[in-house]
Amino acid sequence: MTIQRRKILQGLGSAGAAVAAQGLLGVPAFAQSKPLRIGIIAPKAGVVGTIGECGLRGTQFAVDRINAGGGIAGRKVELVVEEETNPKDSIERLRKLVLQDKVDCVQGIVSSGVSLAMGAVAEEMKALLIFWDGTTQDGVRETMQNPRYVFRSTDNECEAVMASLLAIKHWKGKFATYAGINPDYSYGRNNFAAFEALLKKFGVEAKKVAEQWPKVGTLDLTSHVAALKAAKPDLIFSSLLFADLPIFMKTAHGAGLMDGKTRFAFPGAGFQHTLLKKEFTPEGMIFGHNTLYFALDNASPLQRYFVQDYEAKYKDYPHWEADRAYFAMHIYRAGVERAQKAKNAWPGQEDVINAMEGLKVESLGGPAEMRKDHIAEQTFYQGITTHKNRYDFPTLTDVTRMYSDQLQKPTGMDFWKWIETANIKL
Amino acid sequence: MSTAPGRPEPGTQGRASLLAFVAVAIVVLAAFPHVAAPYYVTLVLPAFAYAIALLGFNLLFGTTGLLSFGHALFVAIGAYGAAVLSSRLGVKSLELILVASSVAAAVAALPVALLSVRYVRIFFGILTLAFGMLFHSFLFKFYDLTGGDTGIRVLRPTILGMDFKELDKTAFLVGPFYYACLLLAVVLGVVMWRIVHSPFGLHLAAIRENPIKAEYLGVRVRRFRLLAFLISAFYCAIGGVILAINTGQADPELAYWTHSGELVFMTVLGGFASFFGPVVGAFTFIFLKSELMGLTQYWRFCLGATLAVIVIVFPRGLMGLAKDAWRTVAKR
Amino acid sequence: MTSFFDVLLGGVFHASVLFLVAAGLQLVFGVQRIVNLACGSFYALGAFFGITAVNWSIGHGAPQWAFLPVLVLAGIVLAAIGPFIELLLRSVYKRDEAFQLLLTFALVLMFQDVLRFFWGANPQQLGNLSMSYGKVAIGAVSFPTYNVLVMAASLAIAVGLGVFLSRTRYGRILRATAENREMAEALGADVRWIYASVFTLGTMLGTVGGALVVPTAAASLDMPVELVVEAFAVVVIGGLGSMRGALVGALIVGLTRAAAISFYAELEVLAIYVIVIAVLVARPAGLFGKPVE
Repeated sequence: MTIQRRKILQGLGSAGAAVAAQGLLGVPAFAQSKPLRIGIIAPKAGVVGTIGECGLRGTQFAVDRINAGGGIAGRKVELVVEEETNPKDSIERLRKLVLQDKVDCVQGIVSSGVSLAMGAVAEEMKALLIFWDGTTQDGVRETMQNPRYVFRSTDNECEAVMASLLAIKHWKGKFATYAGINPDYSYGRNNFAAFEALLKKFGVEAKKVAEQWPKVGTLDLTSHVAALKAAKPDLIFSSLLFADLPIFMKTAHGAGLMDGKTRFAFPGAGFQHTLLKKEFTPEGMIFGHNTLYFALDNASPLQRYFVQDYEAKYKDYPHWEADRAYFAMHIYRAGVERAQKAKNAWPGQEDVINAMEGLKVESLGGPAEMRKDHIAEQTFYQGITTHKNRYDFPTLTDVTRMYSDQLQKPTGMDFWKWIETANIKL
Repeated sequence: MSTAPGRPEPGTQGRASLLAFVAVAIVVLAAFPHVAAPYYVTLVLPAFAYAIALLGFNLLFGTTGLLSFGHALFVAIGAYGAAVLSSRLGVKSLELILVASSVAAAVAALPVALLSVRYVRIFFGILTLAFGMLFHSFLFKFYDLTGGDTGIRVLRPTILGMDFKELDKTAFLVGPFYYACLLLAVVLGVVMWRIVHSPFGLHLAAIRENPIKAEYLGVRVRRFRLLAFLISAFYCAIGGVILAINTGQADPELAYWTHSGELVFMTVLGGFASFFGPVVGAFTFIFLKSELMGLTQYWRFCLGATLAVIVIVFPRGLMGLAKDAWRTVAKR
Repeated sequence: MTSFFDVLLGGVFHASVLFLVAAGLQLVFGVQRIVNLACGSFYALGAFFGITAVNWSIGHGAPQWAFLPVLVLAGIVLAAIGPFIELLLRSVYKRDEAFQLLLTFALVLMFQDVLRFFWGANPQQLGNLSMSYGKVAIGAVSFPTYNVLVMAASLAIAVGLGVFLSRTRYGRILRATAENREMAEALGADVRWIYASVFTLGTMLGTVGGALVVPTAAASLDMPVELVVEAFAVVVIGGLGSMRGALVGALIVGLTRAAAISFYAELEVLAIYVIVIAVLVARPAGLFGKPVE
């Protein structure tokens, strides 16, 4: 394990406002002997704890292979892992990583609330920060125009847009009413709003008959399901993605909502895919696996190896957070190596940042890149559920693969304007 | 509080040595940014924030004897006040933000207090917990107004009209803002000292010891409790403003009941029966939590165990231990 | 009309689960004057352990339909931690109530990591086991049989507790101790034993509640802190210390939530608080409580 434990600093040390390790234009031989310290901030408990765990496994996989291959430009990677909790405490951990542990790069973050706050702090501290997830959008309004030190993952709405497009493509004209059950926070709200905006754009004539907003992490959805059932929708759009998703499935199945008359679209089902057992998760639903679909037919050797390795180690199948973490680590690696080659000396932080812009890498789930405006582009996978597999949970058939440049707005544009005006293909 | 030793009356010599300690502490704190590692200096800011908040909280708890499990509500009001004023209303003056947020908290405290001070003890704790969570739900739910789960940005304020544009955020925080908070803590500490030692404060202590007797003696129990509640809300909000500026974001988790629990934890850790206990508790807790989070992933367990040990073995907290040690040393 | 019954049943189901937790709270408070912030933690413990127990039993050849009794047993077995926790709390009995509240808060913090240590960060589920008993259909209304069984069990426990407290000798001693501890002691009641057993019983109600609910829901790490809020709402509405209050309060909370979800989904969470404040303004001690001071 390359995860480092912290030592307690007794009393007042001499400040010296120590120069950060980045910017060390040292002799390559000297630089090569010192490990590259990368800070990881990931949740370990609460609603998003399981997501952080999968991400960490992705990071560990990436680092193990990088170190086995000699490290990043010859320097081994050393991880310093901190826990993501709420914005206030998580920012303290960021400050510790940057000011105290002097890490060269920080990666992680899953929750939107934390990422919003942390993005601003990282910019002010001039600390290189690569988000796994989260956002710097306040709803859909970009709060960080032209970030210099922060690199973001894809827009939150990518999976919503893709699921909506698939729903319209497969079922346009086949549903007259629709309903939504989405978690009551920014992600859920944005997802459902995107769905409705797309329905309007493609001129789908359908009436909304119910709208449920269960509190995040609610474990009793009986009443919500009852309300949905009473409204008799032809299509249900749900961006539930935490433990409430399998509960919803079970409850809906138990209430008779899954008897084939209602169609379902779940943009974020991949997070809980192994818990959605076949007994209560029927075929024919639109499922989103974001940037990593573990059972992809023509998956790259890298992904195949990763999934096998993951299954052997953890007796489970990975979801896309592992891919996000892997991508963050590799875009950094690629940036450092590119900058080092160009400079023929160890690169400074500015060199790495410049190198990362516009860079392409092979992530676990497929090709990916980092845009010049510091937003990632990745490959997204969604499809229709099928039971024809060797697992006890459904996998996908009729998999659609879309690159995020078709799913997220270009730099600087307003999200709603983009939906209205862009030439989005079905 | 049947086990609270009441306010010990230090003799003039005791008071002099207390003043000396405080003076030394202030000097140390003033010198801290120049000698300590930047990270630890940034940790002192939440310590200041909580020290101020807890001075207010302890007026209600230690002095008046009412345990609230919902005071994070007022910390959150302070934080959101700073956020709304700085990023939505364009008010950048720290002084205005402090005044407006703390007054808003006191105003919000009025209905809560009116409903809650009818009760005491456990019921008071449960009620305040419920009110705190009500605010949390409100913050989460009213997405358009409050930013929902993502909260609202808090922009850098100006201190006495100066915006220190040439400093980056970290330098601002460990420089001018640090000293502003230190000054604030000292001033508010002095004010609280006067309050606690005033007739009003003595009445509160009397209410804590024996409310029926106090009522009989003409003390308007409810009114005084109400006032103590309002003052505590005021102080908590100021703490919230400092926290929010430090973080740069006001988010709903600030109002969650476990955050209120942390407030109580810190107070008891430092010693609720002592004036400086809450301050000591704030500093100790912040640094302890930070170190624990770095040492082990089971830091919640360690904190819980620490609280259990304090409650069972050292109920008078660190200040109680210090006083005992002092007495032992003084005897020799 | 079917939708009305669906809503009603959903609300009653939620109320049944809440009742079990609230009953535990009320019992312990009624007799020992302790409010246990860790009630949610016991509930979560019951849920996680219940899953482990069922998986273990099925793995060792037990038939699937037996999972309900396994869950109940798991909950009962877990109550064994009750005496130990009570022993811990004993050290603060003579102190102010604030300390008792604080000690239970310390337990909440510790339990969060204990749960994580044993069961990891992932929420756990029991698959579709709850559907093993099929559905109950009355006309067009259908409801999973398991849910009906849980509601029945909750009701049975409520009735059982009522009978136990009013008819049995032990129950009477409990109530006497609740009214006046010194007098009860003077009359020969072994108060220490009573406190230990009451706390264990209260713990059991929580753990069994968690175990019973887990097939229809999940066991997750944030259960302990989330549940406390609803449980407290029930207790405030019903009145601290009153069993009847726990039942009525749970029903009010469950049905209000169900109604809000059906008619104005946005109000789901806030509706409960509105009721709490309304009750407090009208009847400060709760519907069935005695004024506390």
